Amino acid sequence: MSRWFAVSASREIPRGHIAHTQLLGQELAVWRSASGELNAWENRCPHRGVRLTIGSCVGEELRCQYHAWRFASGSGQCTYIPAHPTQKPAATIRARAFPVREDGTFAWVNLAPEAAAAPPPDPGIARALRSMFVQAPVAELRAVLLGGYGQGSVTATDEYTLLGEPDLEFMLQPVSDRQAIVHARLRGHREGAERLAELRHHNALLSAVRDRAEAAA
Amino acid sequence: MLLGVPLTLHLVSEGAVHATGAVYEGQERLPHVQIRYGLVWLCLGIPARDIVDFPETRESDRIVCTGGSVAVAVSGLRAVENFLDLGHLAFVHAGYLGEEPHTEICAYRVEPLVDGGILATQCRVYQPRPSPMDSQGFDVDYVYAVRRPYSVVLFKANPVEKHRMDMIALLVQPVTEERCIAHVLMAYPPHNVDVASLRWFQQLIFGQDRPILENQVPKRLPLDPRAEISVRADSSSAHYRRWLASIGVRYGAIPVASA
Repeated sequence: MSRWFAVSASREIPRGHIAHTQLLGQELAVWRSASGELNAWENRCPHRGVRLTIGSCVGEELRCQYHAWRFASGSGQCTYIPAHPTQKPAATIRARAFPVREDGTFAWVNLAPEAAAAPPPDPGIARALRSMFVQAPVAELRAVLLGGYGQGSVTATDEYTLLGEPDLEFMLQPVSDRQAIVHARLRGHREGAERLAELRHHNALLSAVRDRAEAAA
Repeated sequence: MLLGVPLTLHLVSEGAVHATGAVYEGQERLPHVQIRYGLVWLCLGIPARDIVDFPETRESDRIVCTGGSVAVAVSGLRAVENFLDLGHLAFVHAGYLGEEPHTEICAYRVEPLVDGGILATQCRVYQPRPSPMDSQGFDVDYVYAVRRPYSVVLFKANPVEKHRMDMIALLVQPVTEERCIAHVLMAYPPHNVDVASLRWFQQLIFGQDRPILENQVPKRLPLDPRAEISVRADSSSAHYRRWLASIGVRYGAIPVASA
């Protein structure tokens, strides 16, 4: 499916961090190199299948935990095989990298190998809310949100993007057939106690959305 | 549980055991059961051959003992392959069976065994602490013999008696296609060896392997050489996969897709 999905708030993946997530059943290692480049890779080493999320970030490379093979940020190209330290790894040895973009708030992934370069629309300054994992199919989650969020109504932009009132945007991540994540952001800027109160308010609302979706599933 | 079949073992008397509760292919059967080398062995069908033989266990001066049984949520074939693997020693078992910068795996020989299986010889790795008895590192010679799909034995050069080798056998119980229990059998020449240290050491090593194995995706072993990339250091693994495919092993494996 050639479509962009938000998979995490950008700030949740600092430099040197490797995060695990899943999109449409595809396990992903989403990680950021020391220089700040974001990657979304199939979460398995092409050598013996070990999850790359148990590996470590070493500068501009991700190092597999099993045989310490290293893969370059950006291309996924294998750069070093310690068992054969004097040989340059073949160009065919690479981690499977998916197209990835950032828009200031979220990291977006496209599972199509040659995804359209167009990044998702930039909402300007926005603040991410807590991403909520839901043990329910994405359709249930969508239906609950369309039933209303707090005092406001919700409308669908497309199958995985919804708009709430005021200045609220929801992005749905289908994790698997039975699991989904709702990411959300608010336009504008807020700080301190106001920001904290806002986070608490939305945490309660998003938790209620999760509970309703899970009860319906 | 063996091959997905739940079983109950009854210790009848010292050294005798029988198994019940096996329902497979639609009917209840009494599996063949034996105790040998301190381990219980089961066959759900009609045994076509005897239990794999370890002549070293009959050398009267050797210390012979089991080394513990570790349940691992991965195909038993992946567990065997990990036991054969040289390239991970410097990383997963750093400080014991290898360490940086001694990461290079030099070419070694792999050949078929006459009775089926594979033999890997001329394997040599630098080990800082090759066994619980060694306090200093040296280049250790390894020989591996995969005698059955789930039975592999490792011979390591003994630091005292140059002409004898330590024996460590990995005997894997396929619980389901994606779960196994790895049993260890050891036979060591009797130099500064005690059973408790041998067991402690093996359990430490297996404890280091387990989190790696449980993060292998998929859990079953792919037999198609295109499924996972192999390099020269993986020669024994590549031969093992090819041999499994050639004798038609499917349980715990992902067979080569027919063209």
